[in-house]
This record gives sequence, structure tokens and C-alpha cells, in this order.
Amino acid sequence: TEADVISTVEFNQTGDLLATGDKGGRVVIFQRETESKGESEELGESGEYNVYSTFQSHEPDFDYLKSLEIEEKINKIRWLPQQNAARFLLSTNDKTIKLWKVSERDKRPEGYNLKDEEGRIKDISTVTSLRVPVLKPTDLMVEVRPRRIFANGHTYHVNSISVNSDGETYLSADDLRVNMWHLDITDRSFNIVDIKPANMEDLTEVITAAEFHPQHCHLFVYSSSKGTLRLCDMRDSALCDKHSKIFEEPEDPGNRSFFSEIISSVSDVKFSHSGRYLLTRDYLTVKVWDLNMEKGPVGTYQVHEYLRSKLCSLYENDCIFDKFECVWNSTDSVIMTGAYNSFFRMFDRETGRGVTLEAWRESSKPRAVLRTRRIYTGGRRRRGDVGVDSLDFTKKILHMAWHPA
Amino acid sequence: MEYKVEAHRIMSISLGKIYNSRVQRGGIKLHKNLLVSLVLRSARQVYLSEYYSGACLNAQNEREGNEWDITDSEREKFPPSATECDRVESTEEPQQSEQSEKGRDYRENDDEVKSDQADSTSTLQQEQNQNSSLDSVAKVSSETPPETSNEPKESPSDSAVAESDSTPEANGESHQPPKTQRKRSAEESESGDSPQKRTKVASSNAEESEEAEEMDTSNVSNLITIFGSSFSGLLSKDGAKPEAEDSGQICCDQMLKNLNPWSTAIVAF
Repeated sequence: TEADVISTVEFNQTGDLLATGDKGGRVVIFQRETESKGESEELGESGEYNVYSTFQSHEPDFDYLKSLEIEEKINKIRWLPQQNAARFLLSTNDKTIKLWKVSERDKRPEGYNLKDEEGRIKDISTVTSLRVPVLKPTDLMVEVRPRRIFANGHTYHVNSISVNSDGETYLSADDLRVNMWHLDITDRSFNIVDIKPANMEDLTEVITAAEFHPQHCHLFVYSSSKGTLRLCDMRDSALCDKHSKIFEEPEDPGNRSFFSEIISSVSDVKFSHSGRYLLTRDYLTVKVWDLNMEKGPVGTYQVHEYLRSKLCSLYENDCIFDKFECVWNSTDSVIMTGAYNSFFRMFDRETGRGVTLEAWRESSKPRAVLRTRRIYTGGRRRRGDVGVDSLDFTKKILHMAWHPA
Repeated sequence: MEYKVEAHRIMSISLGKIYNSRVQRGGIKLHKNLLVSLVLRSARQVYLSEYYSGACLNAQNEREGNEWDITDSEREKFPPSATECDRVESTEEPQQSEQSEKGRDYRENDDEVKSDQADSTSTLQQEQNQNSSLDSVAKVSSETPPETSNEPKESPSDSAVAESDSTPEANGESHQPPKTQRKRSAEESESGDSPQKRTKVASSNAEESEEAEEMDTSNVSNLITIFGSSFSGLLSKDGAKPEAEDSGQICCDQMLKNLNPWSTAIVAF
């Protein structure tokens, strides 16, 4: 059903938990199976994830002032770095960010003096001796409770959240503004970027994604619908409208079409784990940028260039507006992004070579090797090649996360 | 020539998207509508440049005539976008914003009802207000003839901005479909009327952007009156092939009205 469509995925820092958000406002957390049976043939972990917890994060809401419905769809989930036994994650819909505490309980106190096992108050006259309640193991229970609700910070639709490396703050970005929050404070946030023009007539670009630098807590980047990236340093000024660095690539005039602006809009931006590079996704390509070089990307990878001639029909069926995410692997040697027909693409940064893989539900054996696929775009057609016209555009891989291992 | 057809199609699709975005859950998506408006603007530029490539001179002459009705403040905005051809060929927004401003003033002096097209640079507020005022207007137009049936896709819509958005519904769109439909029939019966229509487009764009502005002031009742008067003429024609000169005139107006919403729609935000 529509409400079950997954709208975001995110591993936690150790990779043993995978959180997914869906259009119905629910969050499902999966936990990695550990080998507990002691079977000697399987070394390491199985790679299978089972449901750990499910909870309703956001409900449909209504803005009475503007007579607008607020969708409950979860736009992003981000885990906080783990500090104790409990885990914390941030989830956001279009308007409100929530901090959830996920904790386990596998023991319960038993042997109360005044209550019986079901919790009913005992008749005092039946108590003949006193005892100290003890903790007894019980079935694992996962409790998820909302700890903070960061509301009313955004007029436009929130598209990104990013936890700062300082462990205390995070940013949230909507179409025109980026706010910085303290995790403990819900009634205030700092506005650090505001690109709303004085006259909305002059609006030419919107913010599409934002992320904090993985190591430097004063740096963050945001991408725009015009295909530019702006690196901002919060030490420069309180309001970071003026960027420290701007990364953009001049448009190729030969490729100009009605849809040039749409396909140059950046749908996702991610810092590399090293913090030196940026990965961006626009409609047809992924690009790697070096923070030290603003004039252009250091690598451009074609995801599905064969769609360039089909932009008009993709515009008609709205596929041209699909926002694909992109990810680095843990060593920053491979980048990955999604495409159509359940295909996704991986590019090796050293060799520059790309491979197309299919997310194949049927072969759901753990650790199964996915098959490599090819799109037929001319030349010799091999068996198994898929023609461009037979691509299923309803099967799109938009969201992805790479396990941190 | 095929560019024109393509551009026209893209414009219709874009307007349909803007229309649909008004009724979808979650409110107007600023990003998507901005992109759609950019496409709409590009397509419109191509379309108009094709359209006017042969009629620059006529447009210029007509524009002189039209200018006499406008205020001085408007007049000074004219030079930057003197001819339709220039305007179309240039992709600079400033020109277009001047167009819309021009349109705004122009409208006040003009009795003729123009549809709520705005120039690509109209404001979000404009669109919103347009939307609200269009709702009432749309009701007027919805009663117009049959062509409305398959309309919604093609109607230019004024997208409301998420920001200040309290715009109600998509009624404005039903307003548009009749015009779109009529435009087609108008085009079909074009031949002798072409020069007239071409020149009208130039002025209508201005007028339409004016309409956008006017709606901004939420002068709904006035709008209804204005639309009413113009629509009576449209109603009588009912998209039929025009035979007389004045019916041709009305067809021109219809066509112009159709064009206007397209330019206006961009500005929704």
C-alpha cells in the first residue's frame, strides 16, 4: 500500500540497526541477526536483519493557519552517536523533527510487597513477611519513547537533517532555510542560512539538501536546485548566507534543453567519511567534488545517460522530479546511487568503472551476490541486456544507506 | 515549427502539474513548482519566439497603439521589452518582470477581461491571491460550455505558495480549461485572424500579468464583473468557429487568455 512505501533508510554507526521510515509516518527498526546457535559453518554475522521495533513517529497534521495538510511521511532519519545503552534517533516529516529514545528492557522487578504479579494492590493483611524485589530476566522488550519534539521551526518542507560531530547540535534544512538546533532545547533554534528573497518573485533557487562536516563541527554544506554546493563556516558569522566556498560546474551549452534546470538540481549531497570530498547526485549523474577545488567536480559518473533523450516523457510522468540519494562506502572507495527498474549503480573511485546491479527481491538469500545488469543502448546486444524502453520507471531506488563495515 | 508544438505541449503539461500540485496532499511543493515554472518559462519563450518570428513588426505596431492606454509609469517599463520578439528571445528575467509590471498597470486601464496569466515573474503572493480570486472567477467560467470536460490537465493553474498559502481550491483551473479549449478552436480558425491574434498576445501578456497583480489586491468582486463581461462574449461563442470579425476578435482574446495563464502560473511562489 501507499503508506508502506519506504521514504528513508539509515544505518546506525555500528551497523547493527537499520531504521526505515515510510510514507505512513511509521519507523521500523531492524536489527542484525547475530549467530547465536553456535553453528560452526557460519563465520561472522549472517547479514540478515529482523524487525526490532516499530513505532508511529509522525501523524498526519493540519496547519490551520494556512489550511494545509502536513504529510506524515518520514523524510529523513538520522541516528545519534551512541553514548550509553540507549539509542537515539531523529526522525522528521515536512515540518517537525522528533528525537526518539530506543531502549531495551530485558529484566523486570518481581516480588513487590504491596502489589501482586499483575500489579493489583495486595490486601495488607495477607502480607506476612517482607522481601526485596529482585530483577528477573524477561522477554526482551524494546521501548521507544519520544524525548524531544522540535516543532514550528520551518515554514517550508524539511528535506534534510544532519547531526553535528559535536554530538550536541544538529541542523535541519527546508527549501529556503537551514536551522541549527541543540538536542536538548526544543523551543529555540538558530537560523544559519536564509535564502528567501525579499520578494518571492525573485526566487530562483531552493535548498535541496544539507549536511554537517563529519569532523569539523563548524562546517556544513548545502546544495541547491541550481546544482551549486555551498560550504559554510559558522565561525564566519552568525548567519551563513555568505558561503565560504561555492562549488559549481558551468553548464554544457550543448546539452541545453527545456529541462536543463531540472536535471541539474542536486537531489542529495554527502560528505565522504574522510571529510575531504563531497558526493552529489543530480538526475543523470553523480559527481565527486574535492573541498579544495571549487571550479568543478573531480569525478563525474553517468548513472543513466540513456535517459537524456527521454527527458520530455520523464517530465510528463513526473519521474524527472525523482530525488535519488547517493552514498559512500565506509572507505570512500565506492559510491552508489539508485536508478530505475530496480537497478542501482556502483562506481569504483579508483578505476572509475561503474556497474549496474539489480535489487532482486526473489533472490533473498543473505549474502547472495546480485546480478550485474546492462542497459542496451546500441552496439552489440547481449542476452540479458535490458532495452531502455522496457525499463520500469515505477520501480525506482531512491533511498539507500551503506553499512558502515 | 515542431518546436512550437513541442513547446506548446510542454506548456500545457507544466500548467497541469501546477494545477495538480494545488490539490495534492502536503501543500505546494516549492521546489517542484519552481522547476516546473522554469520549464514553463523556457517553453513559453520558445513558443512565443516561434510564434512571433514572422510578426515582429506587427506586434510592434500594435503595441504602440496599446501603449496609449497605459500610464507613464508603465510606459517607462516598455522600452526594455519593446517588442514581443525581443521579449521572447531574451531569457532575462528582468524583462519579464517588467512585462508583468507593465501588465499590471495596463490592466487598470483596460476594460477587457484578461485571464489570470501572469508573466513568469509574478509573485507567489500574486498567485495565491490569484488563486483565491480565481476561485470565484472559475465558478463563473465553469458554467461555460462543454469543452471543460477534459480540461483539468491543461488548465494553467496558479500555484499557491507553501509559504503564505491559504489558497483554497483548484477552482481557478476550471477557469482555465475553457480558455484552453477555445484557444485550440481559435487556432484552427486562425488564418485571417492571425495578425490580429499575434498582436493581441503581446498585449494580453501584459494584461494578464496585470490581472495577477490585481488579484493580488483581492478585488474579487471587480474581477467577477470583469470576467463576467468578457465571458459573456466567450460564452456566446462557445468555442465555435468564428465567422465574423468580432468573433475573431473574441477568439483572439480567448487565445490570449490562454497564453496568459501560462506565464502567470510560473510565478505561483
